[in-house]
Amino acid sequence: MARGNKEILANLEQIVGPEYVSNEEADLQPYTWDMTWAEPRMPDYVVMPKTVTEVQRVLRLANHRKIPVIPYCNGTNIGGLCVPEEGGIIMDLKKMDRILKIDPETCYAVIEPGVSHAAFSAALKATNPQWKGEEFSKGFEFGWGVHPPSASVLAMAINHGIGHLNGRLGINSQLMSSMEVVLPTGEVAKIGSCAYSDSWHSFLPLPRMDGLFTGWLGTTGIVTKLGVWIFPIRPYKDVLTIAAASAEDITKYMVRWRHYSLCDEVTAVSWWLAQIPIVFPYSPKPADAPEFFSYTVISGWSQEELDYKRKMWKEVVAKERAKGTKLIDFEYPPEAKKGRTELPSRIVGSTKNYSKSCGGGIAWPGTFAPCKSWPILYEKWKEIYIRHGLSPATRFTDYQGAHYGMLRCMTPFNKRDPASVQAARDAMVECVRAGLPEGMLPYKPPVEYQNELNAVADAGYLYLMTKIKDMLDPNNIMNPGKLGIR
Amino acid sequence: MSHLLKNKELKELAKIYDWVSMCTHCGNCKYGYEYGPTSNFAAMLCVQGDKFNFDSYRGSRGKVSLARSLLHNRIGWSDKVAHVLFTCTSCGACQQMCETDIKPWILRMFETLRYEAWKQNVAIPENIKAWSSTIGTLYNPYKEPHEKRLDWLPSDVKASLPKKAEYIYFAGCTASYRRKQLARATVSLLKKLKVDFTVVADEWCCASPLLRTGQYDLAAKFVEHNKALPEKYGASAFITTCSGCYRTLGRDYTMDAPEGYADKYGKMTGVKVLHTTHLLEEMLNKGEIEFTGSFNKKVTYHDPCHLGRHAEVYETPRNVLKAVPGLQLVEMYRNRKFSFCCGAGGGVRGGFADYSLETAGKRVKEAEATGAELVTSACPFCYTNLADAIELNKSPLKMEDIVEIIEPIVKRK
Repeated sequence: MARGNKEILANLEQIVGPEYVSNEEADLQPYTWDMTWAEPRMPDYVVMPKTVTEVQRVLRLANHRKIPVIPYCNGTNIGGLCVPEEGGIIMDLKKMDRILKIDPETCYAVIEPGVSHAAFSAALKATNPQWKGEEFSKGFEFGWGVHPPSASVLAMAINHGIGHLNGRLGINSQLMSSMEVVLPTGEVAKIGSCAYSDSWHSFLPLPRMDGLFTGWLGTTGIVTKLGVWIFPIRPYKDVLTIAAASAEDITKYMVRWRHYSLCDEVTAVSWWLAQIPIVFPYSPKPADAPEFFSYTVISGWSQEELDYKRKMWKEVVAKERAKGTKLIDFEYPPEAKKGRTELPSRIVGSTKNYSKSCGGGIAWPGTFAPCKSWPILYEKWKEIYIRHGLSPATRFTDYQGAHYGMLRCMTPFNKRDPASVQAARDAMVECVRAGLPEGMLPYKPPVEYQNELNAVADAGYLYLMTKIKDMLDPNNIMNPGKLGIR
Repeated sequence: MSHLLKNKELKELAKIYDWVSMCTHCGNCKYGYEYGPTSNFAAMLCVQGDKFNFDSYRGSRGKVSLARSLLHNRIGWSDKVAHVLFTCTSCGACQQMCETDIKPWILRMFETLRYEAWKQNVAIPENIKAWSSTIGTLYNPYKEPHEKRLDWLPSDVKASLPKKAEYIYFAGCTASYRRKQLARATVSLLKKLKVDFTVVADEWCCASPLLRTGQYDLAAKFVEHNKALPEKYGASAFITTCSGCYRTLGRDYTMDAPEGYADKYGKMTGVKVLHTTHLLEEMLNKGEIEFTGSFNKKVTYHDPCHLGRHAEVYETPRNVLKAVPGLQLVEMYRNRKFSFCCGAGGGVRGGFADYSLETAGKRVKEAEATGAELVTSACPFCYTNLADAIELNKSPLKMEDIVEIIEPIVKRK
């Protein structure tokens, strides 16, 4: 069955060619839903532009006719971000898949939205860091997360996705260096150094206008090119592990260790998240099992550097133990170690192995939170989750700089059981509500979380946000319904 | 709640909803990837997605989503639904990439969707409908008379074949009617190697085209008929040069769901199923084959999906090729479990010839990029599509089946 109207369809066909537009429900249906509890919503058209000019023309048409436009690359976010709340045009950007530049001297790359982690990692590994042709190591890397290899590098970065270098370098949006964006009204703007030359190395020292398009969930424009910093691959790596009997103790250890700034990543997962599959529905952990398991990835340019980092880590563990922090030795299974060092992975760690028990539903309260709030919120979340029959499969990950980090709870649920969906949604919204006073903020937030955020936000902040949104998108065509302000 | 099974009229599909609902919609299936410490494999593997682009066509996620949308009554049947379903070559690349619990059921789900489509008033490709209307009486999808099935067989060979033998050489429809030289080469090879085999006039289509296109009811009598052949001819094994027949006889006839169709047609037991390359590898390993000549060419091997991803036979044909004196084997970038389909499978060659040949053309280009002079494979159906694409694209490549390479230069020790 066809949707939309024939005139708009004809216009879209004229812009991108008939083979790259569809208004048939059979083509639209994969864009109606995602991994989360988001209620499926049917778009009216899907369009696949190949060029910036085509993106501009589609946006001009949509703006003129006041049709919603939802930017889409792979649809693998865990937040319902690409579910078209009000129908409209899905702008599927995966045909814009060129890696436009890899600069091995200035260490940045320029990519289009359709570039996958798989393709980008392959290209970076094939490029060697060098200065004026003189190579000094093998291959580059970016911040690789745990996601399907088809996931878009650009979409992940502009939505504050995390990568395996987050302990050393910060989250992926901190690794962006320049961008090109098409505004909802169709104009093209370059932001950062690329606005002045063909060098895409930095946003600084200019006004940070990239902030108008970062973390806005595709509601302010379409980012059509992105410059990102890339980093030489360090040849030596190791994964060090320790467990603890409580969230309090594992946090103490992580806080001390992260102050040294010696690791690429330090993460802890609760007993429930360490199980494969995640225990669903909830059942208690064995009394003698640790509450948290932690791994940290260290890397270096020589064995000596790695040995030094390992020595320092041992000192941290010893010092914490001397203080009375109860840390428990444990060895990570080899497969798990591989999973932490062989990234990007084709294994979707977060979705693997439990779709059988859970009927395919996955969501999380995925948040950034000050580390001192982790143990407090863990205990609150644990109570909420257990009350809803869910396992507190929680993760803490420190981000660069010892300021804050990820706090999230991977939540499988059964999409075929309305009660299971409701319980998961209720639990997660309650967790967000409990976390906001502690400084916790959800990232890639589903609409329900955004409503919670808006309910307690500073009025001036919301006013400014609304003003910016209205200025950039006067007809509110860009991914409407996601910010809860228009 | 929209993920409830509402459309129970789609009975076959509803039966496997437990599995359909396990797809998390993660999108692993949409792109080929494998980690490597110094280089990563990264390439588009989905033939259908490569051509038609939209997520509906790309990987298993689109088709799972389609199945759910139909079962949830969120969309209805349409010609577009049929197009999405019947342009998939069933190559199994998406299944290879999947990491969730639906993985083993993916191909079965595609075939079940097609089964359901036949009951709807939707645009199933005319050519598929055409061969389907005659296969029940002609026993082949090429609309050729059954009596001519053994026309490929030289009369002197025919006269020399035993009535009963250890192996039945199952030539399959493509070799019997369209690529007769492959059937003749196989028989000649088996004779040279002194294999105890026979060829049977009452071989019917293995039912691969029927099963792959979801024609379960029509397939039943084919499976039943062919299953009875070994007992009738005193054979303990089928041997075939066709990867499609190998997959069907070796898995569909003998394995439980989801790998096979024993749940529908019962299980064939006590009968081995070998691909010709299996026999060659075994005899080479035992030192029973002597090469009488060499094959001094650079060759690249195309993995047939039915032998590779469907049956996980990757090294056997390569081991055979590596044993050939003078032959230099070079690999295409997409190989083994990450191979790229020739574009013929799943009824696509019959249903959408242009798209099928366009896909084969992409594979031919990839083969050319290796610097090989010749592309080889282990399937008459792949042979047909690749050879046609070579001709269509005026490629300098030559096409030969492994059997054609081996047959002229071996004898039994």
